[in-house]
Amino acid sequence: MKVQMNKKKTILIVDDVEINRTILAEIFKDEYEIMEACNGVQAMEIINSKLEISAVLLDLLMPEMDGLQVLEEMNRSKKINRIPVFLITAADSEKKLTEGYNLGAIDVIRKPFMPHFLKCRISNVVELYAHRNQLEIIVKEQVERLDRLNQSMIETLAAVIEFRDGESGEHVKRISGLTSILMKEVSDTYPEYHLPESEIDKISRSSTLHDVGKISIPDSILNKPGRLTKEEFEVMKQHTTKGCEILQTIPDIMDEGIYKYSYDICRHHHERWDGKGYPDGLSGNEISIWAQVVSVADVYDALTSERCYKKAFSHDTAVQMIVDGECGAFNPKILEVFTKVADRIKK
Amino acid sequence: MDLLEELKAKDVNVEEAIERFLGNASLYEKMLMKFLDLMNDMAVDTDFDCNEYDDIIEKTHAIKGAAGNLSINPIYEAYTEIVNLLRAKQPEQAKLILEKILPVQNDIIDCIKKYHK
Repeated sequence: MKVQMNKKKTILIVDDVEINRTILAEIFKDEYEIMEACNGVQAMEIINSKLEISAVLLDLLMPEMDGLQVLEEMNRSKKINRIPVFLITAADSEKKLTEGYNLGAIDVIRKPFMPHFLKCRISNVVELYAHRNQLEIIVKEQVERLDRLNQSMIETLAAVIEFRDGESGEHVKRISGLTSILMKEVSDTYPEYHLPESEIDKISRSSTLHDVGKISIPDSILNKPGRLTKEEFEVMKQHTTKGCEILQTIPDIMDEGIYKYSYDICRHHHERWDGKGYPDGLSGNEISIWAQVVSVADVYDALTSERCYKKAFSHDTAVQMIVDGECGAFNPKILEVFTKVADRIKK
Repeated sequence: MDLLEELKAKDVNVEEAIERFLGNASLYEKMLMKFLDLMNDMAVDTDFDCNEYDDIIEKTHAIKGAAGNLSINPIYEAYTEIVNLLRAKQPEQAKLILEKILPVQNDIIDCIKKYHK
């Protein structure tokens, strides 16, 4: 393995015959930093290192690990999508060449080498890949920025509602954290409720908007210190459906997935497993698992927080009350998971 | 006569090879010396096993590639044919070509050896 350090783009030459490597190095040394490997194993060490490789010139027939095996490895690690690979070959193995192309090789370098054509072809592809990789980075950064902006708008909106409710804005953050812990555990424990991590992240973020409809509830009811009358409670219940109406007017501030979860959580986080919840009176698994999880998180946080009409319960008391069914009926599977993660929630 | 002149007389396309090394004649000469090592490591004789010759394909393939890049045309052309015949499962015919090229090959190798420092 031979390494030269400078700021030029780097080309990796992989060939077991030193003469071939030397000629290629001579051709490219003025424009590129050159790294050399004399077999596939050495090549993969370099490709998998932190070094930025701009192109690989790869011999097919080599000892220890041949060119096709290197390509297979690069496919497995997805490096093949970012690094152009040129096959070094004589025109005597069409079958291997076809396999090479099928594994993602970009072009073929025929022996004996023709320096001028080689320089042009490889430089063009290296520049093209560099440009494409750069564009991908820019797009990814923009998407992440937009995502952060959207999330901060959602959090701001949720926090505004919290302040009106006499809360500090911490409630929605706690709900998001609780939802994330519970949802991950439910997903890992029960195959029927399994969701990819990216979806759980969306659910956790969406949970912050569960009470957005409270903005439509009059102060006299929202901040009433005593028990609500039947009529007042009917008004209070409307925060679920009013929340959905609000979300329908602002679908553009969130992506489709977040909107779908937010809407569902907003509407159904007061449904109950036994069908005695509101607004739709859904029961059992008619209620989405994410709405069920937010429901438990919301009840736990309400119990352990001080409100204008009650003192805060301790963690242990709150857990016991929920498990004992004092705060409504919940999915037994969620309760089991809730008990399991209770210590983590306390922290 | 120097090494390059002698090789020209033996049908080695020296101009083409030096062009391949971007005009660097001394690097070309250095690689000719490396070619001696390669021919030593990859030496193939006519007595190879006609039923089991995968390693011979690898060796002749390596010689062909290097000889082509150094424009040692007699060796390059003969080994191109040998590799093709071996891949076509005709080892006996490959041996006939090998027999013919070995004296030419030895002559070129001896010539390079003469200048080996």
